[in-house]
Amino acid sequence: MRDLAVRLAALDADAGAALRVIAYFDSLTETRAGLQAIVRGAAVLAGCPARLDDHARRVHVRVDASGAAAPLSSSGDPGWMCLAVVPDGSALLALERAGEPGPVEAMILERAAGAARAVLDRTRGRAPAADPALVELVVDASAPSDVRDQAVHQLNLAVPGVRAVALPGGPALLPPGVVPSFARAGIGPAIDLPASYAAARVALRFAADGTPEDPGPTVVRYDDLGALALLADLPADADVPDLHRLEHATTAAPWALATLHAYADAASLRAAATALRLHHSTLQDRIAQAAHLLGWSITTPAGRLRLQVALTLRRLRRHPR
Amino acid sequence: MTTTLPPPFDPELAAALGVIQEMLPPFTLDSLAEARGGGAVAGPTDVQLRRDGAFTVAERVVPGLGGDPDITLLICTPTAAAGTLGCIYHTHGGGMVLGDRRIGVEALLPWAEQFGLVIVSVEYRLAPETPHPGPIDDCWAGLLWTAAHADELGFDPDRLIVAGGSAGGGLAAALALRARDEGGPALLGQMLMCPMLDDRNDTPSAVQMDGLGVWDRQANLMGWSALLGDRRGGPEVSPYAAPARADDLSGLPPAFIDVGSAETFRDEDVAYATRIWQAGGRAELHVWPGGFHGFDMMAPAAALSRDAQDARVRWLNRLFNG
Repeated sequence: MRDLAVRLAALDADAGAALRVIAYFDSLTETRAGLQAIVRGAAVLAGCPARLDDHARRVHVRVDASGAAAPLSSSGDPGWMCLAVVPDGSALLALERAGEPGPVEAMILERAAGAARAVLDRTRGRAPAADPALVELVVDASAPSDVRDQAVHQLNLAVPGVRAVALPGGPALLPPGVVPSFARAGIGPAIDLPASYAAARVALRFAADGTPEDPGPTVVRYDDLGALALLADLPADADVPDLHRLEHATTAAPWALATLHAYADAASLRAAATALRLHHSTLQDRIAQAAHLLGWSITTPAGRLRLQVALTLRRLRRHPR
Repeated sequence: MTTTLPPPFDPELAAALGVIQEMLPPFTLDSLAEARGGGAVAGPTDVQLRRDGAFTVAERVVPGLGGDPDITLLICTPTAAAGTLGCIYHTHGGGMVLGDRRIGVEALLPWAEQFGLVIVSVEYRLAPETPHPGPIDDCWAGLLWTAAHADELGFDPDRLIVAGGSAGGGLAAALALRARDEGGPALLGQMLMCPMLDDRNDTPSAVQMDGLGVWDRQANLMGWSALLGDRRGGPEVSPYAAPARADDLSGLPPAFIDVGSAETFRDEDVAYATRIWQAGGRAELHVWPGGFHGFDMMAPAAALSRDAQDARVRWLNRLFNG
């Protein structure tokens, strides 16, 4: 029966394609297949060359659509469909095809990146350690620019549109087109990398832990902060009476922080009630009570802004420079 | 024998197998019509075979053996080949019950281009409608005609090989036996890709892989029973039906035999190569670890598949250019 003209490439656009992609990469992971097999799977299933670039470990695998290992053609193209394999973006899986990934392509990227991550995690001990020194050099404003340029080339990231990322543990880089998948991060603008990193560190202070004690967005882009970024300049010891009131309210009522945050963040009272899984009349009662504890009305636009600023300042205090 | 754990599939092939098994038709006698009609068994069109003018494609209707019906030969000739051409006489696969002369021919085109070979692929009648010896007789009649018309087809009769995969591998092996027994045509080689050789269907690999992979023991039982009926597994089976039944494997053209370690045919194919050596013959054997039946065709991009394809090309290179 060797002659059945069955091709994996026949996976196109068929309703079961996504499920087959999942099964394919799950099987590779179960049987502990290597990076070549994973990248080849992505290339053959997508019908275009695929590559894995792990800048930190200097692992570069490229496979063409027929499944043959192929030489690296270039350092990459920002327009390609790609996904970060590890949270700091130092390892990328890309399909060498421009445009927005369709559903099957997105599934291939997600599953292949997951399978590759499992291999990298498993082999981490044997792989050369990630080179944080190189990334730190790239974002260091005091380093000579030619030294920084050289480091960017060594990282294989000499493409326009790279952003610096501030993580609690230090800097990382986000190549263009990559969907960030960080636990807690500030993301800088796509500018000169030291300046981008300075902005990313500011953005990181606006990023919450995402815990009940620190609710809020865990990944913040500096570009989205606008004038709010100015709040970061407030001296750490500046006395802000609204913070005392917020502290008082959240100590007095255990539900207050979550309620105030949801209310400040939501588009409407009803949306806040949904987010908190409360009946909206219950929420209304709680808001009235919280406003009483705070000492200012939070249902007027100005009062709501005052609440948003207070909550933001609270987060900045929790995440000092 | 006691049932033992089967060898594991190669990781990459295991992943592909999940997808392939969804697409394969069921291999039972009752669902044969469905399997024959299914898109999974569609061969290449003339346009695909022409490869943008690299080949001319023709068909010839030639006499069957004795009073048998005429048979059709598909003939693909490379247009750019220089020097003396050879010929690859192809018997398609399909478990003796499926397929047609186009199945598997695409895989031969790169060889035909590289080594300058005319491809002749025979349309033999299928079991169970045509039991043994109908299918092998059709293949034999086509081979006789091909060898006798070497001039007309434009190849050197000293550069003629037989080749086939699966059931086609078994038929190619049977052609080599018959050509030896009947004193011609002369064959330069026989390429037997995961060949189906033994109707007894009782080797350790057949037992071990029962229910697993592609073309398992049950499917194999169906194929052989369709060809041989009650004679299957009995004492009176001709080597031209099941080449593993041949008592004498001496005096055969050089054989290339490959097979996966995780398929029904592993042990009968290894035994066939071993017996050729024991008979003082020439054979090259490749057992691909973790390969299921037809892995190189169904998952052609996998690392093991590429190695298997490369090994065939290297053998052909030694055979034709050595």
